Amino acid sequence: MSEDIVKLKGSTFGIQLVFDRKVDFSVVKDDIRKKLESGSKFFKRGTVISIEPGILTQSEEDELRKLFHQHAVLFRVEKIESPRIPKRAIMNKSPQPNSDDAYKRARTDNAGQLIKKPSEEQKMMVINRTVRGGQEINSTGSILVIGNVNPGAQIIAGGSIDVRGVCRGLVHAGAYGDSTAFIIADKLMPTQIRIADRIAQPPEDAESPTGAEKASIQNGRIIIETVER
Amino acid sequence: MSEVIVITSGKGGVGKTTTTANLGVGLAIRGKKVALIDTDTGLRNLDLLLGLERRIVYTLVDVVQKRVGYGQALVRHKKYTDLFLLPTSQVADKTAIDPQEMLTIVQAMRNEFDYILIDCPAGIEQGFQTAVIGADWAIVVTMPEIAAVRDADKIIGKLQSENKNIKLVVNRIRPQMVKDGTMLDMTSIDDILSVDCIGQIPDDEKVVDSANRGIPVVEWKNSAAGSAYRDVVSRVLGEDVPFKPFETEGFFTRLKHVFGH
Repeated sequence: MSEDIVKLKGSTFGIQLVFDRKVDFSVVKDDIRKKLESGSKFFKRGTVISIEPGILTQSEEDELRKLFHQHAVLFRVEKIESPRIPKRAIMNKSPQPNSDDAYKRARTDNAGQLIKKPSEEQKMMVINRTVRGGQEINSTGSILVIGNVNPGAQIIAGGSIDVRGVCRGLVHAGAYGDSTAFIIADKLMPTQIRIADRIAQPPEDAESPTGAEKASIQNGRIIIETVER
Repeated sequence: MSEVIVITSGKGGVGKTTTTANLGVGLAIRGKKVALIDTDTGLRNLDLLLGLERRIVYTLVDVVQKRVGYGQALVRHKKYTDLFLLPTSQVADKTAIDPQEMLTIVQAMRNEFDYILIDCPAGIEQGFQTAVIGADWAIVVTMPEIAAVRDADKIIGKLQSENKNIKLVVNRIRPQMVKDGTMLDMTSIDDILSVDCIGQIPDDEKVVDSANRGIPVVEWKNSAAGSAYRDVVSRVLGEDVPFKPFETEGFFTRLKHVFGH
């Protein structure tokens, strides 16, 4: 039975991918594809599927990630036993004086609820298109954009933001105070980056990045570093 | 069955009306029965570009207010007998035409024409809604400059949320500037907008001349813009026409200018 090749173990922190290591990778991949196409309940848009590190090679991981993304499922390689529980250090700080309305609205509406449910940013909103100028995407959880974020567009997330494309708009991760939130894009060239209560503006003469980059807060400042993916 | 196309841009002055006029005349030359509807109420220009201003008796506003049927308001082109213009009022404003009323008129006209082209006003307010509602698909006109591309992006977002198919026309390209790197090239435009392009129109002084005369450049044999518009017409008709490379000013042409030839 093909059911036995790939198993999905549910846990409080998402769904874990488990399979017999002796089976050929192409068979595993095929089985996952079948499961995805069958419309199984496990694979709702935005579901997070994780796998323990060290089981697959980098290129195999990338292949699976691509496959899952086509079905708007998020694929992560991480230790399942030790989920990252985000700190909320800046929660009590006063809001940025020049922050926009959406920021304030979201912050006050959701602050109470967020404390009760620490796994809020495990939730992932998936946007399967290019976000164009004048459009705004808001979520209390994290946001995955499979497409570009064009100049004039706004992405505001309580959690992190992942852009599988070129990010040229305004991105705000950790909009309710989570300073561990981060922003990743294939090409990170936004008009402005905001994480929690920090704002960064790329230099006027910034050159176009060659690979994926990640923005996060380190020592109280937004820094940008290249990442592999 | 007819195709209803809206020509829109967001930003003003990029060449919506010029494109509508050229496309209309071009399709008529190719033997299609065409109606052009001007929805830029209060700031109408399409009649001027077609040289039809003096023939207008009734307008779209009269049709909406049921004073006349659309047939009575249609103005036939003097040269191409299968080309008609439904002009709008120069006195009323955009609130005179409700989107639903516009939809009714377009639906009624569908049986009679091969193509109905709707010239959209600039902006994203009611005038835009009125122009877009009855259209099967849209041509977004933009220019190789940052403000026009941004506005086109915004308009494309709006059209996509209404599930309209979109094609792009890039107007007023200056090949020499693109070559020198001082003007946005097609790659940078496509990078942002990423919609199918069906027209690359070079900047051409003859367009100004043609507007004054009321004879669209698509009829002009020696106009670069006219030739590019003829290609757009072919692509609208579903033909696969390659994009011609632009002529930039080479050494010899410049030399000719110097010697006054």
